[in-house]
Amino acid sequence: MATGATSGSGGLGRVLRRPETGSFLGLIVVYVVFALLGGRNFLTAPGWSSWLNMAAEVGIIALPVGLLMIAGELDISVGAVLPASSLTVAIISSHYGLPIYLGIAGGLGVGLAVGFLNGLLVTRTGIPSLIITIGTMFAVSGLTLGFTILIAGSTGVFIVPDPLTKSIFGEALGGMFQVGIFWWAGFVVVIYCLLHVSPWGNWIFALGGDRQSARNAGIPTQRLTIQLFMLSGFAAAFVGVTQVITFGSAQVAAGSSFIFNSIMCVVIGGVLLTGGAGSVIGIVIGTMTFAIVNQGIFFSGLDPNFGSIIIGALLLAAVLSNDTFRAMALSYVAKKK
Amino acid sequence: MDLIGTFLRRPAAASILSLIGVLAFYAIFGGVDLGRFAAAASWVNLAANLGIVALPVGLLMIAGEIDISIGAMIPAGSMTTAILSGYFGLPILVGMLGALAVGVLVGLVNGLLTVRTTVPSLIVTLGTLVAMQGIVLSSSVLLTGGVSVSLAAPDWAKFAFGHLIAGSHQVIIVWWVLLTMIFAFVVHKTRYGNWIFAMGGDKDSARNAGIPTKRLTIGLFILSAVCASFVGMCQAILFNSAQVSGGMGFIFNAIVSIVVGGVLLTGGFGSILGIFFGTVTFAVVSQGIYFTNIDRNWSNLIIGAVLLLAVLMNNTFRKLAVNYTGAKNRN
Repeated sequence: MATGATSGSGGLGRVLRRPETGSFLGLIVVYVVFALLGGRNFLTAPGWSSWLNMAAEVGIIALPVGLLMIAGELDISVGAVLPASSLTVAIISSHYGLPIYLGIAGGLGVGLAVGFLNGLLVTRTGIPSLIITIGTMFAVSGLTLGFTILIAGSTGVFIVPDPLTKSIFGEALGGMFQVGIFWWAGFVVVIYCLLHVSPWGNWIFALGGDRQSARNAGIPTQRLTIQLFMLSGFAAAFVGVTQVITFGSAQVAAGSSFIFNSIMCVVIGGVLLTGGAGSVIGIVIGTMTFAIVNQGIFFSGLDPNFGSIIIGALLLAAVLSNDTFRAMALSYVAKKK
Repeated sequence: MDLIGTFLRRPAAASILSLIGVLAFYAIFGGVDLGRFAAAASWVNLAANLGIVALPVGLLMIAGEIDISIGAMIPAGSMTTAILSGYFGLPILVGMLGALAVGVLVGLVNGLLTVRTTVPSLIVTLGTLVAMQGIVLSSSVLLTGGVSVSLAAPDWAKFAFGHLIAGSHQVIIVWWVLLTMIFAFVVHKTRYGNWIFAMGGDKDSARNAGIPTKRLTIGLFILSAVCASFVGMCQAILFNSAQVSGGMGFIFNAIVSIVVGGVLLTGGFGSILGIFFGTVTFAVVSQGIYFTNIDRNWSNLIIGAVLLLAVLMNNTFRKLAVNYTGAKNRN
């Protein structure tokens, strides 16, 4: 619209070529379908809170995982960092009775440390990040289980947070909307600015597009990769902190579902696994779509197991339509030249 | 000296060294009686179930692809067998063929989607993984009203696929060894093996050289899905029942076994012997800890450490192999 020269169809074409258009259409379709099936309950506060709560949890992790995928990397270890962080909080602040802020700092520190290790191993060895983070996932979950049994003597640790901490990390507004939704919104704003406003974001796209050229252009690719892994470790640890404070207990076995769920949100949101393309808005839309299908199915009266068939179909539809949209975008540029 | 060099340059070297290292570690620090351990069934059973899936997935990885839908294909195979032959009372042969047919179908979908689109196979098979989980769950609930189905297989089927040799070793071990030998022959002695390595090394050059890369990719995906549902089928016949859950653990366990076995995730490098020993190493680490006086809670830590160490060793040995041929050419 700013150029004024583009005709109506040109404007439409430009909208269609945006990476998140396909995922936005998917979101609308999914919401309408579940609104028709689920009726009033799904459209009112209980319905919204159920899918927003889920979207917030997986969304906080999906954002940095999405950045990593834009940069051409993967992070599987988030599934082990989440319970590691919850248990660190519970062990420090409940088992040893130290102040809660020390526990939270410890939990987040675990996430940053694992992220740093991931980044260091990926940049120093040249081994694919899928393999490195599978390795750290096994190692971290082994350490979590081993130390928890060693220190606390069981696989779960309880904690009673003080009211202030509870209200910051684990309150449910109106008994329904978790405060995590606002944290998710905060993460979205910060990561949006990082990716789409600051030069750091351009670096990430450059890294995912062509690592060699990015380094030749003077981008500190190794430092950037390590920072991105630390960000995803931090986000997973943050969700671990909010979970332990919300539920008042930390379990060793939690978190593995987040591995594939976060990747699915990111892919439904139009990010390429091969790197170099994607947007924060797309990741948010993908997360919301994922959460609506997952929770909406309970309001629809359908067999809940149909939910995963829909998610699988949606995932394939999303990647196929992204394929088409990208081909359109690329051919358009070629024509202009 | 030269013998050692030749050994180290083989893709299986790191997995064999890891296996020796793990056994030594358990024997020295865990006080394992190696004789008693070798006779134990637990790790061989695990290795056989995992190994039958790891072989075709390893071939896919050599070809530069990956298949994580196997996590849903194992319960799909066992549920298909149990629903057809247990719930509907059809002959066991129908149930078995049904399970394998489901494998062919899902493999075909994976393969077609991978070759027809530019979407990476990790994402394609993630989609079919989730979709198949839903299909297996909901069809089980719709058809039988439950999530667990019992199955009474006739004696010949039990003997071939699901009895315990000497009361402890599952018969699937025989299948695993047999399949390993067939895979080793096909991959290392026939042209199909060369095609797979060529495809993983450089897909475009492979196609230009006349290799039917698309048909080969689809074939490999069908192979891995069929092998996974075969494992599911054997489990259903062995345990006389099938559950919709289970199988997710196989995804990462298979990838770890394959990578420890010296297969390059980016394709073009690996061997069947390596995958075999990688699987044995994984099984020894995860089951062997029960024979030690090390607290078994640390087993995941050891698996992670072995994976990272083996991958680093593989990297070093591969460089050794590449440099060696390079040096020879220069002379």
